[in-house]
Amino acid sequence: MDVLNLAHGSFYMVGAYIAYSVVVATNSFWLALLVAPVLLALLGAALEVVFFRRLYRHGHLAQVLLTFGFTLVFVDLIRSQFGPTTRSIAPPPGLGGAVELFGATFSAYSLFILGVAIGVGALLLLGWRFLRVGAVLRAGVEDKEMAGLLGINLPTVFTLTFAFGAGLAGLAGVVAAPEFAIYPGMDASVLILALVVVVVGGLGSIEGAIVGSALIGLGYVIGTSLFPQFAIGLIFAVMAAVLIVRPSGLLGRRS
Amino acid sequence: MTLGRAASARYAAFLGTLAIGLATIPLWAPRFWIYIATQALIFAIFAMSLDLLLGYAGLPSLGHAAFFGVGAYACALLALRQVDGLFPLLLVGAVAAAIVAVPIGALSLRTTGIYFLMLTLAFGQMLWGLAVNWVSLTRGTDGLIGIPRPTLVGLDAFEISLYERGAFFILCLIVAIVTFALLQMLARSPFGKTLEGIRENERRMRALGFPTVRYRFAAFVTAAAVAGIAGALAAMSNGYATPDLLYWTVSGLALVAVVVGGARSLIGPVLGAFVVLFAQLGLSTYLERWELILGAIFIAFVLFVPGGLVGLVRRA
Amino acid sequence: MDLSAVGLTVRFGALAALNRVDLEVAAGERRAVIGPNGAGKTTLLNVIAGEHRPTEGSVRLGGRDATPLPPWRRARLGLGRTFQRSTLFSQLTVADNIALAVRARNRSGWRFWPGSEDGLNQEVSRRLEAGGIEHLARRPAGRLGHGERRILEVELALAASPSALLLDEPMAGLSGDERQKTLERLRSLPKEVTVVIVEHDIDAVFALAERITVLDHGVKIADGTPTEVRANARVQEVYLGGL
Ligand SMILES: Nc1ncnc2c1ncn2[C@@H]1O[C@H](COP(=O)(O)OP(=O)(O)O)[C@@H](O)[C@H]1O
Ligand SMILES: [Mg+2]
Repeated sequence: MDVLNLAHGSFYMVGAYIAYSVVVATNSFWLALLVAPVLLALLGAALEVVFFRRLYRHGHLAQVLLTFGFTLVFVDLIRSQFGPTTRSIAPPPGLGGAVELFGATFSAYSLFILGVAIGVGALLLLGWRFLRVGAVLRAGVEDKEMAGLLGINLPTVFTLTFAFGAGLAGLAGVVAAPEFAIYPGMDASVLILALVVVVVGGLGSIEGAIVGSALIGLGYVIGTSLFPQFAIGLIFAVMAAVLIVRPSGLLGRRS
Repeated sequence: MTLGRAASARYAAFLGTLAIGLATIPLWAPRFWIYIATQALIFAIFAMSLDLLLGYAGLPSLGHAAFFGVGAYACALLALRQVDGLFPLLLVGAVAAAIVAVPIGALSLRTTGIYFLMLTLAFGQMLWGLAVNWVSLTRGTDGLIGIPRPTLVGLDAFEISLYERGAFFILCLIVAIVTFALLQMLARSPFGKTLEGIRENERRMRALGFPTVRYRFAAFVTAAAVAGIAGALAAMSNGYATPDLLYWTVSGLALVAVVVGGARSLIGPVLGAFVVLFAQLGLSTYLERWELILGAIFIAFVLFVPGGLVGLVRRA
Repeated sequence: MDLSAVGLTVRFGALAALNRVDLEVAAGERRAVIGPNGAGKTTLLNVIAGEHRPTEGSVRLGGRDATPLPPWRRARLGLGRTFQRSTLFSQLTVADNIALAVRARNRSGWRFWPGSEDGLNQEVSRRLEAGGIEHLARRPAGRLGHGERRILEVELALAASPSALLLDEPMAGLSGDERQKTLERLRSLPKEVTVVIVEHDIDAVFALAERITVLDHGVKIADGTPTEVRANARVQEVYLGGL
């Protein structure tokens, strides 16, 4: 969509906190998994219609400032509701244990995360390829009039895409909640990782994002086991290397 | 910006009044407000350096705080090892920031626009992560504390201590004015005009024979050096250097200061820095939920005053 | 400066925008490149100017292999160009546009302090006058009319004093009067300046060119004097259509 949304990490954070609230209230993780993405998609749609829509023609800088304002608002709202301390929730029943696989032990929940990731990735890829969402969006970004002539209702497409992205971020937040800490700064860390992944994979390419996250995840794991202090450094080394070889990312289109 | 003669006279008068007005602050303001004004001046220097990038070179960096932080840490590390002298410490801040800017610039400047924004943000957070994790050098989240303010080596005759009321504020004011003058000069020099051309139309500049990436690189490193000076001042002012200085929200606030004030004017970012700092420190003193309000103010500003304060004045 | 291209092929995916094109232009020669839309003319200029790397083949400028050089280095060898879609500094005034081009030639971009640029200002005035656009000097380029913009596009390239000049449809969309002026301007260039012009205005092409190269679907289908090209049956068929 050619929109840089710094508040995307906030959607993730809000998703995790919704999961926390739902689990505390109803003790049902699965309910949270259903509720959070829907709520965030609605939130995303509302923000798009009320705020972002006015800014597409003002360029990236206005988007950055606007979404930066939102990250401040979200993090403060979360802090006022939940305080600055770190929260956590338990994995849903049945996924709390460990699983033996290929002679190694994995926590059942991390396998669950892996499954969700693969599932979402596959669905996205299929949607991208066969529903030609990508083509529509690209056409919309590059030539708004042309897309209009082709009978595509761009504002609606943009709103839906934005909502969908927000919903996915919320889903990620819920899925991550039992595995990682829930705290008011988690939006920034996930945002940066996501940016690195996108930069490595290539802008505007779902395949690229998948390859990128695999690479960065691998880099992170190797980094953590070799020199824990500088794991983050290794991630950026990977990014730097990719940039030197391919400035537009591994699977990005050359500009 | 080309102004008519009358307008330039008014502009010069405005600058003079502003400088003199600021210089009187230590005479009447309570200590707490002197402190806030000092912070605002330091932030103003930092914002001016970002304006060189954003306004003149057209490079929207969201990782500029990294250089602010590197300057602060470099100054702190030396000051804690008994290195004294204002000028050497400021210089160290500038040089350290410039050195760090070399690889970051070389990588980030292969791209422009949104991509550049993302890269600078990512590299900035990497340095923040380094400041948090490289405990043996930086003491992690605790930060380096107890940094002494330097003496004015070479100016002993004046017998001024930077701990005296207002002395440090005046120092920051002088550095800010010098920075403003130098950056103004740079902006009006052939180098500045070339940057302007590159911002307007890089493709044509290349076709005319300008090595555009080198020019942008030079602007990037220069801006980092100025940010490093601001960082060194921050370390001296606070007496500590923590990873917070490098956090991406600091870059974001600087970007807000530049845009709220009005990019490509140098004075706009100074005003913006004061607005942001007073809003931040002022709100946080009286309100618990100040970040929320601040965020809401930014949102409103982006939506309703796209040209910034300077734009408002120009239109009036 | 003479320029040449040998065996240029440029592929965009499956499409070969240029297919083994050779081009040999002597110093001071006036060459036109013509052909239907999509023939690859702009691509050819872009490869010579260094904006595209050829998939195969090489480019020589002034006897020197320029294939690996970036655009700005080629410009410094004395190559100038205009763009098919006007590529100006739209927020700067016309005078400031020209000043940038003059600075490019003087290589004075690395001066970090302002200072008197009297020489520069005089040269800018001279060039504005020579191009007949001195009345527009203080107008921002973005507020020019289409014809004025096309003329500034050419003046910008000329202001850098190139020894070889690539022009991409400089007359497209100009009024008859403006065409005439631009043609005169191009004819009055110093004899030693090499000119390669892509243009659909056939009268202008025949008035200016000493030799003409014809492209179609990325392939060179003819190359010769105007008379030879006019007589070429293949050219008549794909492009000139009975002129
Ligand atoms: N950057 C590009 N990417 C993909 N295809 C391109 C690109 N530039 C040109 N083409 C294609 O190459 C062919 C030749 O284009 P061009 O050189 O602009 O033709 P001309 O200038 O003769 O009209 C056209 O089919 C055009 O669509
Ligand atoms: Mg063309």
